[in-house]
Amino acid sequence: MATTRREFLKVAGGAAAATAAGFPAVARAQAKPGVPSDPVKIGILAIRAGIAAPVGTAGLRGTEWWAERVNKSGGILGRQVQLIVEEESNPKDTVERYRKLILQDKVEVVIGGISTGVTLALGAVAEEMETPWLSWDGTTQKGVEETMPNPKWAFKSVDNEVEAIVAGQLTRKYFKGVQTIAGINNDYSYGHDCWETYQAVLKKLGMNVKPVLELFPKLGVTDFTSHIAAIQQAKPDLLMSSFWSGDATIILKQAAAVGLFKNMKGVFTTAGGVHDSLKKEFTPEGLLLGYNTMYFDDPKGSPLLKQFVREYKAKYNEYPAYESDHAYFNIESYKVAVEKAYAQTKQWPTKAQVVKALEGIEAQSLSGTRSWRTDHIQMCSFYQGLTTHKNNYDFVTINPIEVVSTKTAMKPAGSKLLDWINGWKI
Amino acid sequence: MITNLVNILMGGVFHAAILFLVAAGLQVVFGVQKIFNLACGSFYALGAYTGVSAVGYFTGHGGPPALFIVPLALGGLAVGLIGVVVERGLLRFVYDRDETFQLLLTFALVLMLEDLIRMTWGTAPVSTGGLYLNYGQARILGATVPVYNLIVIAASLAIALGIGWLLSRTVFGRIIRASADNREMAEALGVDMRWVYVRVFTLGTMLGTLGGALVIPATAAMSEMGIELIVEAFAVVVIGGLGSMRGAFVGALVVGILRSVAISVYPELEMLLIYLIVIAVLLWRPRGLFGAAAA
Repeated sequence: MATTRREFLKVAGGAAAATAAGFPAVARAQAKPGVPSDPVKIGILAIRAGIAAPVGTAGLRGTEWWAERVNKSGGILGRQVQLIVEEESNPKDTVERYRKLILQDKVEVVIGGISTGVTLALGAVAEEMETPWLSWDGTTQKGVEETMPNPKWAFKSVDNEVEAIVAGQLTRKYFKGVQTIAGINNDYSYGHDCWETYQAVLKKLGMNVKPVLELFPKLGVTDFTSHIAAIQQAKPDLLMSSFWSGDATIILKQAAAVGLFKNMKGVFTTAGGVHDSLKKEFTPEGLLLGYNTMYFDDPKGSPLLKQFVREYKAKYNEYPAYESDHAYFNIESYKVAVEKAYAQTKQWPTKAQVVKALEGIEAQSLSGTRSWRTDHIQMCSFYQGLTTHKNNYDFVTINPIEVVSTKTAMKPAGSKLLDWINGWKI
Repeated sequence: MITNLVNILMGGVFHAAILFLVAAGLQVVFGVQKIFNLACGSFYALGAYTGVSAVGYFTGHGGPPALFIVPLALGGLAVGLIGVVVERGLLRFVYDRDETFQLLLTFALVLMLEDLIRMTWGTAPVSTGGLYLNYGQARILGATVPVYNLIVIAASLAIALGIGWLLSRTVFGRIIRASADNREMAEALGVDMRWVYVRVFTLGTMLGTLGGALVIPATAAMSEMGIELIVEAFAVVVIGGLGSMRGAFVGALVVGILRSVAISVYPELEMLLIYLIVIAVLLWRPRGLFGAAAA
C-alpha cells in the first residue's frame, strides 16, 4: 500500500526536483581536455516523507546550494552537474531506486541515505553495483557493530553513537555531581545504542551513576505527559535523551509545563537537529545540547558557513541543521576526488579511480575541513554545548561551544565500540 | 506517593481526552453509516495543523495570547467542514459497495490528506511555541498540572456530555439512533438519509479536527501524527465496542490510564499492555464492553 504512494511521490517529486535542481540550459565553462562535455549525473537519495523528512530536506537543500554554486563557477572540470533526485523510503524500494539511478539514469555516483535500516541494505548493493555511494547520515552498523569493515564502493557517515560519546564526556565536565540518571530514547537501534553508549562512557570516566529509569517510546509519539510523570516519580538527577525530531521539541515543552528541569540536569545529544524549534519560552538554559556536526551560529565559523546560513535563512526562513553539511561535504568530496584523479591521468576518472581518490581525501565542508578515513568512514567534528538564552533569536543557542573531533570520539577502524571505550586511558 | 499517582493519572486522562474525541468521531460514523473511517486520524492531524495556523494568525494580528484557545477551537471546528466535501464527493459512492472498497477509499484519504498537509505546511513539525505555558500550572495534591491540560480534559468531557445529550434528547439524535438501528425503516418513515449522512459524517470529522486542534498547544504537529493515533483509537473502539459512544468514552479512559500506569510501573509494557487488554476483550466479550450484540 505504501509503495503506491511512494512511487507516486517518486515520480512527482523526482521529476520536479530534477528540473529544479540546477541543470542550466547553457554551460558556462568549457570542459577540460579529456573531459566529456555532457553534464555529469549525480544520483541523490533523500527522505521526503515521514519523521525524517525535515532531515532529508536539509540534506537536499545543502546539495542544491552546492550544485548551484559549482555550476555557476564552471562545474566539475568544466562539466556541469545534473542532480537526479530519488526518494529514500523503505529499504526494498530504496534499493530499487538506487539500481535505477545507476542502470537507467547512468549516474556516476550516488549520494544520500539517512536511515540506518536503509543504508544497511544500500551498502551491500553499492558493492554489487560497483558505483561509489556516499552516505549522508546512514552507516552500515548493526547496533554498534560494523557489518562492512572493508567496503570497496560504500562511503559511510560517522558512527551513530558518536554524539552519545561526546555527550558522555561533556556530562562529566559539566554535570559532575550527578548520581542518578534516566534515559528517554526512541525504541529503535539509534535510541538504544545512544543510551547504552552514554552509560558506558560515564562509567569509564569514573562517574558512579545509577540508572533509575529507561523509557523507550516509539518514534513518532507526540504526547509525553505520562513519560514525564514517570520521570518525576523516578527523580533522577539527570535526564538523557537522543530525540532528534519533533519529539525533542514536544518533550521540552511538556517538561516546561510541569517545571521538570527546575531541579534536574538535561542532556539532549541530538536535539540540535530541530534547534530553531527549541523556543526560549520552554527550553531552559544550562541543558547540554548537541548539534551533531554543524553549528549554524558558530562565531568561529568559515565565511562559507556564514554565507550558507544567511542564504538558507533568506530562502527558507529557517536556520540550517547539520544534515545540510553532511550532504555538502559528500558531494564536495566527490568533486575534489574527481579533480585529484584527473590531475594524475588527465582523463575523466573511472568510478574505481574516484573511489581510490576518495580514500583519505580532505575537503572543505561548511563546518570546516572533513575527510574520509581510509576505511570509508567520514571524519568531522561534533558541536555540543550548554543552552543559553543570550542571543538574538527566539530559540536557544549554546555557549560555550564544545567542538570534539571524531579522531577522539569515534572508535578507530576495526575496533569494537565497548572494548575501545573500556580501553581509554583516563 | 499521592503526588506521583496524580501525575500518572493526569497524564493518562489527558491522553484519554484526546483519544476519546478521535474515537468518538470514528464511532458516530460507523454507528450510522457503517463505514470504518480510517481517515479519522488524518482529520485529527488536519485539525492540529489548522489550529497552529489559526493561532498564528490570531496572535500575529494582535490578538491577546491568553485568548488563543478561541481561534484554536474555531479553526479546528471550521476545518471539520471538509467532512461535507468528503462525504458528498467520495463516500456516498461506496455506501452500497463491499466493505473493502470503503476501507480502501478511506485509506486513500489518509494518504491524500498526509500529502496535502505536507504540501501546505511543509515537512518540519509546526507548533504554537510556548503559548501553552500561558495558562500556568495548578497544584493538585502536591502535583503540578498544566492548566491547559485541565482545560482540554474539561472540554472533552463537555463534548462527551454534549454528544450524549444530542443522541438521547434531541430529534436529530433520535433520527441518528433510528438510522443506526434500521436504515430502511427510517427511510420508509420519511427520513432523508442523504441529509443524515452528511451531518453525521461532518460531526464525526469535526470531533477529530477539534481533538487535533485542542491537543496542539501541548505538543507539535507532524504530518504522520494521525497514523500514530489511529492505532490507539482502534484499540479504544475494540475495547469499548464498535459504534458505541459510551464505549469510546470508557475505552479511551482504559487505554489512556493503562498506558500511563505502564510507563511508570513497567515501561516495556507501554504498548503491549493495551493490546493484551484488546486480546482479552476480544476473547471474553468480542463485541466490546458496550457493543451491540453481533448480528
